Amino acid sequence: MPTEAIDPPGISWLRVSPKYVTVRLVEWAIGNLIAVALLSLPLVFALVGWWDWVPLWLAITVPAFMLLLAVWRLLLIPRQVRAIGYAERDDDLLIRSGIFFQRTLVVPYGRMQYVDIGVGPVERGLGLCTLKLHTASAGTNAEIPGLPSDEGARLREQLSARGAARLAGL
Amino acid sequence: MTSDRAVTSDGAGTAGGPLGGSAPAGDGPAGQASIKPDGEWLRVHPASPFIRGWVALAAIGFFFGRDTFERMLQGRPLMDEMYSGRVPFLIAGGGLVLVLSVLGFILTWYFTRYQVAEGYVRVNTGFLFKQQRQARLDRVQAIDIVQPLLARIFGLAELKFEVADAGESAVRLAYLRIDDARQLRATILARAAGLEPDPERPDEALPEAPEFPVLSVPPSRLIGSLLLSEQSFFVVVGAVASVVLSTVTDNRGFYFYLIPAALGLAAAYWGSFNKGYNFTAAISPDGIRLRYGLLDTQAQTLPPGRIQALKVTQPPLWRIFGWYRMQVNVAGYGGPGSNGEGASRTTLLPVGVLADVMRMLSLVLPDPGTPDPARVFAAGLTGIAPAGRPGPARQPAAAEAAEAGEPDSGFVTSPRRVRLLAPLGWRRNGFTATDTALLIRSGRLWRELVVVPHQRTQSMALHQGPLARRFRVADLVLHTTAGPVSPRVIQAGLDEARALFDAQAARAREARKRQTSEQWLAQVAPAAVVEPDNPQNHQEGPQHG
Repeated sequence: MPTEAIDPPGISWLRVSPKYVTVRLVEWAIGNLIAVALLSLPLVFALVGWWDWVPLWLAITVPAFMLLLAVWRLLLIPRQVRAIGYAERDDDLLIRSGIFFQRTLVVPYGRMQYVDIGVGPVERGLGLCTLKLHTASAGTNAEIPGLPSDEGARLREQLSARGAARLAGL
Repeated sequence: MTSDRAVTSDGAGTAGGPLGGSAPAGDGPAGQASIKPDGEWLRVHPASPFIRGWVALAAIGFFFGRDTFERMLQGRPLMDEMYSGRVPFLIAGGGLVLVLSVLGFILTWYFTRYQVAEGYVRVNTGFLFKQQRQARLDRVQAIDIVQPLLARIFGLAELKFEVADAGESAVRLAYLRIDDARQLRATILARAAGLEPDPERPDEALPEAPEFPVLSVPPSRLIGSLLLSEQSFFVVVGAVASVVLSTVTDNRGFYFYLIPAALGLAAAYWGSFNKGYNFTAAISPDGIRLRYGLLDTQAQTLPPGRIQALKVTQPPLWRIFGWYRMQVNVAGYGGPGSNGEGASRTTLLPVGVLADVMRMLSLVLPDPGTPDPARVFAAGLTGIAPAGRPGPARQPAAAEAAEAGEPDSGFVTSPRRVRLLAPLGWRRNGFTATDTALLIRSGRLWRELVVVPHQRTQSMALHQGPLARRFRVADLVLHTTAGPVSPRVIQAGLDEARALFDAQAARAREARKRQTSEQWLAQVAPAAVVEPDNPQNHQEGPQHG
């Protein structure tokens, strides 16, 4: 598969902290392992012999498929984290993400309504934070996860200052 | 419009004191003060809680009255033997419920007050849990006068004032006398436009801006459009399917399933008809005025420059008569159904011919940014790239393309390699940019043209999935406020998409710099703006349509 990126050429991206992989791993574990465990229940019941109305092949293939999917997602995490990038230009902020489903987002500073910083429990432990930009559009899903706290604070101040300088109405 | 109409005025409340205790609740409507432009706290019409709560009253009446009435008809004693000893209690209980609800109505009315002052509209509500809501006048996105049937009978109207947050925080004043509502709308719009009250006569109400009718939709066309709409298509398909199924399976049961479906459909048709009936559009310096409704009437005012994005669609069957529908995103309105009002508020034109569409476009986009707007927009509505010829390699601006006599008015369509992904649409899906707006067209059967003014672009994103990467194409999504229009350039060639991404960011930046004040009359002499022209972004652009 050709791996040509869709972002405009000539932009030097800032990458997020590699520690963000850990956050994603925890999220992955919570989501996928529970799903796999739940889906394995019929198999366990069948093996123990409590009830066996689910055909054995189905009881095996479904959790096996989920497990495969989960492992696939797990392998993708480091690459996905490496794919996240952001760049501050003179008038707008660029955010890119994704490997298979790539997205490059541009948010003009003048359109920002407010900037959020969120810190989850795992992120706090690692000294990371998530920066979120809001415009008047709900479609703007501008999130930069996995920023080191001081970089997050710097970016927030920077964005607020630039936003105030270039603020436009709706 | 006269200014001597009185609204309920509270003598003690001018300072915004909490209760205004000296004013007895009963004398409200008799107040003699005319609407003061500034400072005064006013109440809505005292009948309004009953009009809003008549369903509750009717339910109480029904609950207590039905049984008694039935017994009366049947000649039985009014009460069962076993209850006869408790009659006084039952009557007292019913009376208490009634009195309590009426008291509740009166209290809500008494504690609902509003004020227009210092560039804000403030509304206070609630007596246990107080709420003060205030909205900046220069942020007004749209202002509606709504008259449900019952309110219309009593000559009352609700005034709805939208600020920009997707329908969450509309300021509602229900109900005012219709003349007062119009007067208040004129005042709010004049303030929002930046007109200051005359310093010598500050008490004089501002006159309503003159308006000029632009178009109306005849009922026959509305009915025709409903009959030829998408839902009619599915009705026919469903009916045929059920008839076929019932003959094949010899089961008459299918007809019974049709009954609820038919009822629902009748309600949907009736709703569209009721909403779209007598649709008229007019232009005034305050913006576009839309009026419609058969039983419940509604008058919307969209101030200039408040339309964030617009789309013109044509279902396949409408092509017979050349009809189009126009819908808009307005920051205050939100998406369809987001405040339970259906799609009618976001409809700019329920059904119209090409000339109507062009006329409305010229109102929304007074400066089309191209020397030959009729051709560019027509290409956007119905055009298709010539077969066998690859789209232009570079992106000519629409103006340039029109001069050069491009057959497709400069629309950049999907590259030829996409014909496997979109066998019908690849010659149709495309975009072009004028100096003031981005035009995105799509759909071979369900034709669609989306127009986004450059200065309304919020943010953008390029998207590309694995399949699109194989074909070297990408989608460009423009983010706009919530609403029926979601602009998306689909399957543009990668180089074109990238160029558009950069160019559009630059264009939006330029447009934002040009963007003037939110107060749309502030730069223009107030007396001079009576021609049907949108006073914002004044450049000498040709009028189209």
